[in-house]
Amino acid sequence: MSVSELKERHAVATETVNSLRDKLRQRRLQLLDTDVAKYSAAQGRSPVKFGATDLVCCRTLLGHTGKVYSLDWTPERNRIVSASQDGRLIVWNALTSQKTHAIKLPCAWVMTCAFSPNGQTVACGGLDSVCSIFSLSSTADKDGTVPVSRTLSGHRGYVSCCQYVPNEDAHLITSSGDQTCVLWDVTTGLKTSVFGGEFQSGHTGDVLSVSISGSNPNWFISGSCDTTACLWDTRAASRAVRTFHGHEGDVNTVKFFPDGYRFGTGSDDGTCRLYDLRTGHQLQVYHQAHGDGENLPVTSIAFSASGRLLFAGYANNNTCYVWDTLLGEVVLDLGELQDSHKNRISCLGMSADGSALCTGSWDSNLKIWAFGGHRRVT
Amino acid sequence: MASTSCSVGGEVAGETGLALAKSSLPPPRPKSPPPYPDLYGKRREAARVQMLEREIGFLEGEIKFVEGLQPSSRCCKELSDFVVANSDPMIPAQRKSRRHCRFWKWLCFPCLSVASFCCCCRPECSCHLRKPKCCNSTCCSCVGSKCCNGSCCSNSCCCPKPSCPKCLSCPSCSCFLGCCCSCPDLCCCIPTCFRSCSRPSCLNKKSSCCSCNCKIKWSSCFKCPKLRLCCCFCNCKNTCSNPCCLAF
Repeated sequence: MSVSELKERHAVATETVNSLRDKLRQRRLQLLDTDVAKYSAAQGRSPVKFGATDLVCCRTLLGHTGKVYSLDWTPERNRIVSASQDGRLIVWNALTSQKTHAIKLPCAWVMTCAFSPNGQTVACGGLDSVCSIFSLSSTADKDGTVPVSRTLSGHRGYVSCCQYVPNEDAHLITSSGDQTCVLWDVTTGLKTSVFGGEFQSGHTGDVLSVSISGSNPNWFISGSCDTTACLWDTRAASRAVRTFHGHEGDVNTVKFFPDGYRFGTGSDDGTCRLYDLRTGHQLQVYHQAHGDGENLPVTSIAFSASGRLLFAGYANNNTCYVWDTLLGEVVLDLGELQDSHKNRISCLGMSADGSALCTGSWDSNLKIWAFGGHRRVT
Repeated sequence: MASTSCSVGGEVAGETGLALAKSSLPPPRPKSPPPYPDLYGKRREAARVQMLEREIGFLEGEIKFVEGLQPSSRCCKELSDFVVANSDPMIPAQRKSRRHCRFWKWLCFPCLSVASFCCCCRPECSCHLRKPKCCNSTCCSCVGSKCCNGSCCSNSCCCPKPSCPKCLSCPSCSCFLGCCCSCPDLCCCIPTCFRSCSRPSCLNKKSSCCSCNCKIKWSSCFKCPKLRLCCCFCNCKNTCSNPCCLAF
C-alpha cells in the first residue's frame, strides 16, 4: 500500500473514531437519569453540619524549608513521609510531630513520595525521570544523605506520582510526563508492565496522578493532561479498560472512593468529579465558583473513611474545601479555620483509619486535622 | 560502473556514448537524488492506521457494552447506601454524648493561652475560629455578576448567554452552570509568554497563541511538568534556581 493510500485510510479511520466517540458520548448521556446530589436530596438525606470547632488542626509539622509537594501515610504506625522543594524527604511521627528521618535527595526536584506497605522503605520521583527507593534502616552520613537502595529508571519524562501496590512491598506504579504509567518490580528494578505509550492505547498527554484500588490491587486509575482518567488492569497492559471523559482541563489528581467501585478526580477546570468504575458513568460534579469567576485548579483530593466527605485542595492561597459528596455542597473550608495554612495546599492524605487528615502546603508545613467536637444527641 | 541516465551538462550520456562538444561544456548540474521510498515514515503511518482501526474495534465494543448498562440512578443508590452504612470519624454524628476522638483524643488539651490553639474535645475549650463566610442579609439584588441564592449572594456567574465576541484576553466566565458565555472556538491567549506566564485557556489548540514564545530558551535539563503551560528556563551548567516556573 502506498503512503498516500495509507494517509487516506488514516483520515477515514480518524473520522470513524470521532463519529463513534460522539455516538458513545450521546449514549452515555441518555443513561444519566440523575446524579448523586439530586438522588440524595430526593431521599431526604440530612446535610453534614460542622460546628465552628468540630474540625481542628491538631498538629503542625515544621521542618521543611521549601514547598511541600507530596505526602503519604504508612498503612499502620501513623508515620508520614513528605517531599519538598528543599530536596529532602522527611519521615514524621504523626502523633509526636518528631522527625525520624530527613533524607537528602540526589535530585532536589522531587514531585512525589510514597511509603511501602511495610513502612520500611520510601520511594520518590521527580524531574530526574527516575523513581528512587530508600531503605529507612540505612544509615545516613553527616549530610543526611542516605544511599539509594534501588533506582527505577526507564521513564522518558518526569515522574509525577508513585504508589506502592497495597500489601506488595516489591511492586509500585509510577505515572510520568512521558504519557505512560509503569508497574515496577522493586526487587529487580525492572519494568513489569508499561501502560500506554506511543503505539499503545492510552493517555495522549502527561500522566499526573495514579491511585490503586485497595479492594482490588489489580486495578488502578490514572489522571492526565489529556483531560481524561483511565482505568487499567495490571494483568492486561495493552490498553486501558475504560476511559472517563468529562473534565475540561488537566486531571491533576485521582483517588479511589472507599468502596473501591467509584473514584474521584480533581482538575484544572476547577471541578472535582465522581465516576463509577464499572459503568463509566459520571455520577457527580463538584464545583464552586469563586468570587472573581475564575476556575481554581484542584491540586489534590482525599475521601473520608465513609466517603461522605471529599477534601479538595485548590491552587490559590489556602483553600481546602470539604465537600458533602452526597449533597454536592461545600460544608467547610479548612483555609478559614484557625491555624490554617498560609499558602496553597498541594497534597492531602487521609490516615489509614480515617481519623486524621494530613495536608501539605507551599508554606513548607504539614498540618494534621482531626475531629475535635462532641457527638451529640439531637 | 553501469551508466544511468544522468544528466551531464544537460545531455544524456549512455553506454554507446555520444560525441560531446569539445568546447564550452556547461557546468555540471547534478539532479536531486532519486526518491527512495520513505520506509520509516510508511511504517509509522501504517502503525498509526492500525492503532486507529484497533480503536474503532474497541469503541464499537464499548457502544455495545453501554447498551446494556444500568442508569446512573442505580450507581447513586449503591454509593449512597455505602456511605450511610459506614461510620466516619471525621463527621459529627448523632450519637449518645461521648467523646470520640479515637487515638487522636490525647492530642486534645485545654487552651493554655489565648495565643495557643486547642483541640476542642473538652467543653471548657473555646477555640476562636472564624465563622464561615456567608451573607448576613437576605439579598434582593446582586451586584455585578453575582446572583441571589436564598439568603446569600451566590458566587455563581450569571452573565448573559450570547456568544462571546472575539476576545484578546481570556473571558472570566465559566460555563459549568450553563449560564455564562464561553468562547470555545476562540483563542484567548496571551500571545507572548514571559517567565510568569499564566496558562492560556485556549481550546483551539491549533492557534499559534497557545504556545509560549519564550524569551529564554529551554535548554532541556528536564522536561517540565505541563510543559505547554509555561516557559521553563535552565542553564544546565549552573544550578537551576527554579527550573519549572509554573508548577514549582
